[in-house]
Amino acid sequence: MSVRDAYRLTDQATFGATESLITDVRTQGASAWVAAQMALSTSRYTLGNGDAIHKNTSNTAFCDQSANAGANCWRDWYSSTPLAWDFYRNATQKNDQLRQRVAFALQQIVVVNNLEVEGTYGLRNYYNTLLDNAFGNYRQVLKKVAMSPVMGDFLNNANNDKAAPNENFARELLQLFSIGTCTLNADGSLQGGACSATYDNETVRAYAYALTGWTYPAGGATPYGCWPTGANCQYYGGDMVPVARYHDTTARTLLSGVSVPANSTAPQALELVLDSLMNHPNTAAFVGKQLIQHLVSSNPSPAYVQRVANAFTSGSYSAGGRTFGAGARGDLAATVAAVLLDVEARGDTPARRAGKLREPVLMFTGVLRALNGRSDGDALTWWWGETLRQHVFRPPSVFNFYPPDYPVPGGTLVGPQFGIHNANSALERLNFLTYLLYWGGSTAAASVPGAFGTTVTTTGFEADAADAAKLVDRMSVLATGAALPSATRTQVIQAVEAFTLANNGATWQSERVKQAAYLVFATPAFQVQR
Amino acid sequence: MKGPQMNRRFTRRNWLKTSGLVGASLGAGAIGNLFAPHGIARAADYKALVCIFLYGGNDGLNTIVPTDATRYGQYSAVRKTLALPQASLIGLGTSGFGLHPALTGLAPAWQEGRLAPVFNVGPLHQPLTKAQYRAAAASSDAIPDSLFSHSDQQILWETGTSDSLTRTGWGGRATDTLATTNPVISVGGNGRFGLSSRSAPLVLPEPGSVFGAYELGTDAWRLQYAPLVARAAALRTVYAQAQDNDLADAYAAMQRDAFTMSDRLSALVKVKPGEAGSVAAIDNAFAPLISGSDVAAGLPRQLYQVAKLIAGNATVQGNRQIYFAQAGGFDTHGNQIGTDPTTGTHAALLKQVGDALGCFYSAMKALAMADAVTAFTQSDFGRTFTPNNSSGTDHAWGNQHLVIGGAVKGGLTYGTYPTLALGGPDDVGVDSWELQGRWIPTTSVDQYAATLLGWFGASDAQLDAVLPNLANFGSARRLGFL
Repeated sequence: MSVRDAYRLTDQATFGATESLITDVRTQGASAWVAAQMALSTSRYTLGNGDAIHKNTSNTAFCDQSANAGANCWRDWYSSTPLAWDFYRNATQKNDQLRQRVAFALQQIVVVNNLEVEGTYGLRNYYNTLLDNAFGNYRQVLKKVAMSPVMGDFLNNANNDKAAPNENFARELLQLFSIGTCTLNADGSLQGGACSATYDNETVRAYAYALTGWTYPAGGATPYGCWPTGANCQYYGGDMVPVARYHDTTARTLLSGVSVPANSTAPQALELVLDSLMNHPNTAAFVGKQLIQHLVSSNPSPAYVQRVANAFTSGSYSAGGRTFGAGARGDLAATVAAVLLDVEARGDTPARRAGKLREPVLMFTGVLRALNGRSDGDALTWWWGETLRQHVFRPPSVFNFYPPDYPVPGGTLVGPQFGIHNANSALERLNFLTYLLYWGGSTAAASVPGAFGTTVTTTGFEADAADAAKLVDRMSVLATGAALPSATRTQVIQAVEAFTLANNGATWQSERVKQAAYLVFATPAFQVQR
Repeated sequence: MKGPQMNRRFTRRNWLKTSGLVGASLGAGAIGNLFAPHGIARAADYKALVCIFLYGGNDGLNTIVPTDATRYGQYSAVRKTLALPQASLIGLGTSGFGLHPALTGLAPAWQEGRLAPVFNVGPLHQPLTKAQYRAAAASSDAIPDSLFSHSDQQILWETGTSDSLTRTGWGGRATDTLATTNPVISVGGNGRFGLSSRSAPLVLPEPGSVFGAYELGTDAWRLQYAPLVARAAALRTVYAQAQDNDLADAYAAMQRDAFTMSDRLSALVKVKPGEAGSVAAIDNAFAPLISGSDVAAGLPRQLYQVAKLIAGNATVQGNRQIYFAQAGGFDTHGNQIGTDPTTGTHAALLKQVGDALGCFYSAMKALAMADAVTAFTQSDFGRTFTPNNSSGTDHAWGNQHLVIGGAVKGGLTYGTYPTLALGGPDDVGVDSWELQGRWIPTTSVDQYAATLLGWFGASDAQLDAVLPNLANFGSARRLGFL
């Protein structure tokens, strides 16, 4: 396996290449490395506090009670900030990189956020479920999502009442999590080349009715009891449970020829809802294409989407003498393997239209990992996450940080990540490099548990500093899998050579390394993953 | 008349040239001829449009409420606990309508005849009756794509079409067709409204932010030290080079534009209230929303930035400028009211909008720019007339909107208020369990946009170029509020 191809795989399947990882991938080969990655499960969300916020029977607000009061009560009990600490620590350091990347893709498809749902322990449960099911089955993902009290609160399906059902969850389950609004061919292209509706509003209502009758798991308490009658108090410790009095028992016609018979229970209706979605002809291409877009390329060819959709549908994918997947429709191990091992993802010569803009989260981690760095997450949330419009766990709505079809100006390509890229973020990406390389990143914050800051270590490159061309080439392979295009390379080498012993004394080598790193990671060749 | 292709090329070069970027790589071509009528700030002829997008779908039925006994009765009978008490509404003269009590910030503009509500506006391909809607096939062109979906209806409002695959916004296309000096300037993200065929909207950060790259700074110590000069030079050169990948080319192009525009605008963008370079008339108008040296976050801060850019037109350049701002959180599926219907989530959202727009309008008057600046709302869709069980409302279609500015023929309402009958002529529903009051629009986004762009200076032919479905509405092209 070539260096370039190995680099591409680390770009697609991890939070960033390192010199040792590229060597590992080359040694093992693509399918063996992917299989080995799928066997790893070392990352968990563990930080932040527990469920006491939803067991508070005192009339004093939780954060006003002396035991909990303090500047960090909201952060540690209610916010997603502790999850972001885990997220960036794991992304920059843990070895189950592919599981984390797939979970990161899933959390940008089945979206919840901390803007509308507060409760650190509940969010932790939600995102651990996505890590657990990253190579499981998409049906199980949808089922856990539908039963999650966090999703229940986010899209108003907790305590949804047949009397006047709230349509929010039903609509987004169809539109964003499973089939989309337009009828698709098996290769993900639009049937007839235009948008022909997949469902009408009556269908959304039918799903909303079928999905009524779920309440929080038992365990919550408030000083004033629980409401409405018969429902459990707000609580995020486990899956939602049925509450018969609020469940609609009228027969309902769903999609894919599936109907909910009269007098079905809420769990029975949910299984039928899942049947109708998993059997829908759109689902494989709809989900498969989004996984391609999150991992490999914004503009996959229809044939590539078709191959990935086939793996989703059959639940099985074979490559390099290995078979991935357990054979059931919706198998994510098979689907992810098909995404990563496809001919369009592999090789040394990606097409001109291949690749995707490195989204801010992957730009952060890519630079950190390449430069032997790590982050405890603190600086990448309210500072750099907000600045670059990707504060992880806080997308603005269920529509994620960016849409899958955002048009790149000029031409016909889409670039989902261009939906949060603009003149201001273009400049801030450069300033992030200044922050890491010239400001020394961030030191550990006293109030953050287990903090170690956000830093890179570039001393390992100083041995090559005397030979600017060698240094720049080494850095370029790490950042892009190959030497820079020759005109760019010449320009960067010249700038690196501008630091000399004569004009910079003892620090000339470290300055050369930083100059090289700044310019190489600023190039379009790094910022756009191929 | 220039063809659209020529206009697009012209536009991009124009705004690059005025900021000094056009050089060998772009070539000079015939720019000289095309450039002549534009590009010079002509304050006497200056006009700006300010789009305020209310993301999530604002509940227009609780934004403007009918006050006559019959319709108020229909409203309160269906809206129930969500219904605003009649006495709480801000009366709009003899119009028969009142504003949500949180919109006190807009009352002065109404009294001055400079606020115009427009009723039941939404995406349409052509005039549409309920019978036509019910009879149409799923793939029919007569029905706008993916109704009731946030992302799709945002696209239809922002692009001024009925096709959710449309790539460019009506604001962006207007900058192409009218050959404005700058692209759409956004202080509220990358919304598709400002995308043209050649460029993304120019998204600027909020006051106090550095709109620039530190390594391209012009501090003396940077400019005097050869390795730093080499770093800055390499950075600029790298982005000027052709890439081996289409997305990388697009990335490099945006980076070049970012350098150019930040060179010109960073000082203006950074100014906060009370700082050197701030404008007293604007600071005074926004005073109720300023604490210390910060304008309240969200729409107030965005509109403060727009006011500053309008006052700084000599730096921004151009005599026609389209701005884009936004507020989020309007997807009030649950608990849209508080302990009473005049408080809670929706009231707080509207208060932010009313206060920000009211201060912005005051600032424009203080700058003697009110006649030249028209602000207007857009939003995903209206919300169901019938509340759901969560004290909220679900996705609907036609909606009420507001236009404000010194050129607005306000003190009147425009468009036709929907018939407030579940299952009635404006409701898409027919089945008993599907009668939520989702109004079929009686005025199209095309007509709304054409009214705004017509005032802005677009000819009829240019309106047809920007708004491809406008011709489907016959002679009813403009609504008369400007």
